[in-house]
Amino acid sequence: MDRFRPDAFLPLTPVAFDILLALADGERHGYSILQEVESHSGAPLHAGTLYRALARLLEHRLIDEIDAPADAETDDARRRYYRLTDRGIAVARAEMQRLEAQLAAARSRRLLRARA
Amino acid sequence: MIARLKAALFAVVMRVYPPAFRHRFGDEMRVAFTHRPSWSELASMFVAGIGERRDLLVADIRHTVRMGVRSPLHTTLAVLALGLGIGANTAIFTVVNAVLLRPLPYRGANDLVMLWNDDTNSNKPGNPISPADFADFQRGSRAVVALEGCFSFVTSNQLTIGGQTEMVYTEAVTPGLFPLLGRNAALGDTLAGDVNGTRVVLSDGFWRRRFGGDASVIGRTIQVDSGSFVIAGVMPPDFVFPYRGMLGPTGFATTQAVDLWTPLTMQNALFRDRSGQLVRNVHFLSAIGRLAPGVSVDRADAAFASIAGDLERRYPDSNRGWKTHVTPLHTQVVGDVRPALLLLAASVALILLIACVNVANLVLARSVARRREFATRAALGATRRRLMAQALTESGLLGLAGSLVGVLCAWWGVKALVAFAPDNLPRLAEVHPDSAVLFISIAAGLIAGVFVGAAPAVVAGRADLRASLQDGGRGASGSTRHVSAALVVAEIALALVLAVGAGLLLRSFGKLLDVNPGFRVDHLLTMEMNIPQRLTTPDARRAFYATFFERVAGLPGVVSVGGTTRIPLGSTSVSTTLDVEGRAVPVSQRSAAEFRRALFDYFATMGIPVVRGRAFAVTDGPTAPPVAVINETLARTVFPGEDAVGKHVRFGPGSTGPWTTIVGVIGDIRHRRLDAPPEGEVYVSGVQNPPVAPFIAIRTAGDPAEVAESVRAAARQLDPTMTVYDLRTMADMRSDSIAEQRFILVLIAAFGVLALTLAAVGVYGVMSLAVAQRTQELGIRLALGAGPSQLVRMIVRDALNLAAVGVVVGTIAALALSPLVANQLYGVRPIDPLTFLVMPLLLVAAAVAAALLPARRAMRIDPVQAMTPQ
Repeated sequence: MDRFRPDAFLPLTPVAFDILLALADGERHGYSILQEVESHSGAPLHAGTLYRALARLLEHRLIDEIDAPADAETDDARRRYYRLTDRGIAVARAEMQRLEAQLAAARSRRLLRARA
Repeated sequence: MIARLKAALFAVVMRVYPPAFRHRFGDEMRVAFTHRPSWSELASMFVAGIGERRDLLVADIRHTVRMGVRSPLHTTLAVLALGLGIGANTAIFTVVNAVLLRPLPYRGANDLVMLWNDDTNSNKPGNPISPADFADFQRGSRAVVALEGCFSFVTSNQLTIGGQTEMVYTEAVTPGLFPLLGRNAALGDTLAGDVNGTRVVLSDGFWRRRFGGDASVIGRTIQVDSGSFVIAGVMPPDFVFPYRGMLGPTGFATTQAVDLWTPLTMQNALFRDRSGQLVRNVHFLSAIGRLAPGVSVDRADAAFASIAGDLERRYPDSNRGWKTHVTPLHTQVVGDVRPALLLLAASVALILLIACVNVANLVLARSVARRREFATRAALGATRRRLMAQALTESGLLGLAGSLVGVLCAWWGVKALVAFAPDNLPRLAEVHPDSAVLFISIAAGLIAGVFVGAAPAVVAGRADLRASLQDGGRGASGSTRHVSAALVVAEIALALVLAVGAGLLLRSFGKLLDVNPGFRVDHLLTMEMNIPQRLTTPDARRAFYATFFERVAGLPGVVSVGGTTRIPLGSTSVSTTLDVEGRAVPVSQRSAAEFRRALFDYFATMGIPVVRGRAFAVTDGPTAPPVAVINETLARTVFPGEDAVGKHVRFGPGSTGPWTTIVGVIGDIRHRRLDAPPEGEVYVSGVQNPPVAPFIAIRTAGDPAEVAESVRAAARQLDPTMTVYDLRTMADMRSDSIAEQRFILVLIAAFGVLALTLAAVGVYGVMSLAVAQRTQELGIRLALGAGPSQLVRMIVRDALNLAAVGVVVGTIAALALSPLVANQLYGVRPIDPLTFLVMPLLLVAAAVAAALLPARRAMRIDPVQAMTPQ
C-alpha cells in the first residue's frame, strides 16, 4: 500500500469539504448531508452534485458506508449512512490548515481586517 | 400529472449515469428527489450524470494511455498499421472525391451532356460532328436548351504581341459555350455574344504568366496566327475547358491547359466548302448541350437519334450509317479513369481491412495477456459492460491515434499522388488535401477502432475470474487462439487478393512494354514546328523544307531526319475516306483510313519497314503523278487478296481530280496507344502536299537529347520567326503514353507489398504469442528429449497450416474478384495461371519467414526455467 498523504487531496472542492464538515459530528444519510450542508452554507446543493462528490470521497476512502444505526429504524430502509474515516479526518484537517494559512495571508495583506 | 412527468424524466435522467453509479446511488437520489422534485434539481442531475460519464471516459483513457506507454513497441506497431491504412484510404478517397464525385466546375454541371456521331459504316463510335449536322442538331432538338460546340482538338497557334511571337495553345469555341457552361469571366467578359468572332478570352494561368496579372490587358489587340483579336476577358483560375475526354477518341492532345479561347462562328473558313455551303462530311466539332428541364439523358439520346435519322434520309451520300449518342458530360470527362480509381479505392479498403485485422490480433493477444487485470477488476466489482467499454475505449483510442498518423500520411500522400500522377489524368489539378481529409480520417479511425476492439471486448466481457487468476495470466483459452488464428487466415487471404491484383497488373504492364509499336523507339528525337508565316505558297514551303531537312541531316550526331503531320503516340488523328478506282461505292460506305503526310526520309528515320513496293522518292516531285503509301492493315482491309501497289485512289468524300497511285505498303504502327490495335493508314507525299505545321523526327547516333539544341539553333538560323517546340524523345513519348497504367501499377504494387508485410507481421504476432503461451509445454518437450530443430519444425508447420488455409480462401476470393480488373489488363487474362501460382507461393514463403523468428525463440527456451511456476 502506498503511503497516505493528505496533502495530495488538497485543495478540496467546496462540496467535498462541506460533506466532510457535515459528517464531523457523526454519521448521516445522504439526504441529511444535503440538508446540513445547505443550512450551513446557505447555498442550495443539488442531489446530482452531492452524490458525485460522495462517490469520489468513497473511492478515495475519505468516507465509508456503515449499516443503518440503531435509532434510524424510522427512516427509509433504503438509506445508507456515511461517516468520516481516519483518512477523511486527516484530509479535512489538512484542508482547514490550508484555509487558515490563506486567511492569515489575506489578513496580513490587509485584505481583511483582523477581528479584535 | 406534472409529478408523473417529473418521475418519468427522473428515470430518464438516471439512465445518463454510468450503470455502476446508478446502481450504487440511484435509490438515494430518488429519495432526495421525492423530497424536492424541482426542475432545477432534474437539470442538475442531468448535468452531473454527463460529468460522471465524462470522468469515467477520462479515467479509461488515462488507463489506456498508461498501458500504451508501458508497451511502446506494441502501441507503435498498431498505430502505424492503422495510420498507414487510414492514410492510404483518405488519400485515395480525396482523389476519388475530387475526380469522380465532385461536379465539374460548371453551373448545373449534372445537366450537361455531349453529343457524338457514331460511324456505323466503319464501326467507329464517338466521332465529332460536322458543321452542317451541328447546325441541324442545334436547330432541331428541344431535348436540350442549348447546343454549343468547340474544335475537337486543342491547336497550337502563333501569338504575336508587339512584334514578339510565341506558341500558345488555343481552343476554338462557339461564343454561346460560356453561358451554356454558366461561367463568367473573372475579369472583363467572355466570348458570349461575339457573333463576329473578333475577341479572345485568356486563361488565368496564361494571363498571370504572360501579362503578370495586369488588368489593363482587357481591350488590347493581339495577333493569333494571321487574325487580329481583342482581349475580352480572363477566366477564373478554376475554369477548365476542355477536359481531354471532351475531345473524343481522336482528340488526344499533349496538353490540357488552354492559354486562350478563340471564337468559332459559322463564318469560319473550315465550316464552308468551296461553294460556301456548310460542310457535312468533315467531322471536327465536339458538341455540348444542356438538357431541357425534365429531360433525361435517354430521352435526349432518342431525340437526337431521330434527327440523325432524318439527316440520313435527306443526305444519304454523307450521312448514311451515321448515328448519334448522348453521354453525360461528367462521364465523358472521367469515365475512362473511373475503373482504375475504383480499383485503387477497393485496394486501399483491403489494406485498411488487413491493418484492422492485424491490430485486432495484436490487441487480442495483449488482452489475453491482460486477462488477469480484467479478472481482478471484475472481482473488484467492475461489471461486464464496464470491462467491454474499457476494451472499446482502448481500441477507439488506437483508432484515433491511427487517424492522427493517417491525416499526416494522407496530407503528404495526396500531394505525392498529384505530383506523381500522369498529367493526362483528368481533373488532377482539382485534387487538393482539404478539411475533408481530416473528417474522413477520423471517421475511418473510429470505425477501425470499433472493428479492432470487437473481438477483445468480447473476450474481456467473458473474463473468467477463477481460471484467469489461477493460471497466472499466462494461458489463452482455446477459443481465443481460434479467433486469433482465424484473424490471421483472413489477413493472409485478403493480402493474397491484393497480391494477385498487383501481379496481374504487373504482368499486363510487362506485356505493354513488350508491344512492338512498329517503329524504333530508341535514338529518336521528335519536335513540332510552325514554319514561317510568309511561306504562303506550296512552292515556298517546298523550298523551305528542302533547305531545312538538308541542314538538319548534316548536323553532327544526326543519322537521318523526316517529317509527318501526325507523329505516333504524340498527336491527334485525322481520318479520310478512300475512293478506289473502279469501285462504284456510295460515299458513306467507303473505307476510312487515317490520313497523314510524310516528308523527306520519314519512314527510314522512324524505322518503319517498307514491306512491298517503295517509299516516297525524290522523283515524286510536285509535277510528278501523285503517290501514296499505305500500311499493311489498310492493304489487307481494302485490297484483300490483291496487290495494293499500283492501285489508284482518291481521298475525301468530295473527291475529284487526278487519281493517286499507291506505290508502297509499309508496316503497321501503333499510333494512338500501345494497347490499341493498328488502324489503316494512308500517307501522301509531303513534297506534293507541303504542310505548315509538321512534326519532325530525327534519328540520332548518340543520346537524342544532346542533338536538340543544335537542331533548335539550326532552325533559328534558318528563320528567326519560325517556332520549334515540344522537343521530346520518342522513348519519353512511349513512356508518357503508358504513364497512367504505370501509375496504377506502382500504387497497387505498393499496396500489395504493404499487405504482404502486414500479413507477415500478423503471422509473426500470432506465432510469437503461441510460443510465449506454450513456453511451459515446449520446455517439457525439450526436457523429454525433443531436439530444437523439431520445435522449429513444429512452429513452422503451424504457420504453414495457417498460411495454407489463408491461401486457399484467398485464391478462391481472388478467382471470384479478378474479372473485375479485366478492364485494366492488356494481354493477360484475369485468371492468369502464372500469377495465381506465384502469388500464393510468395505469401506462404512470407508466412514461413515470419514464423522463423518465434521458432528460433522456442529453440532457445530453457526447460528448467520454463517449468518453474511463477
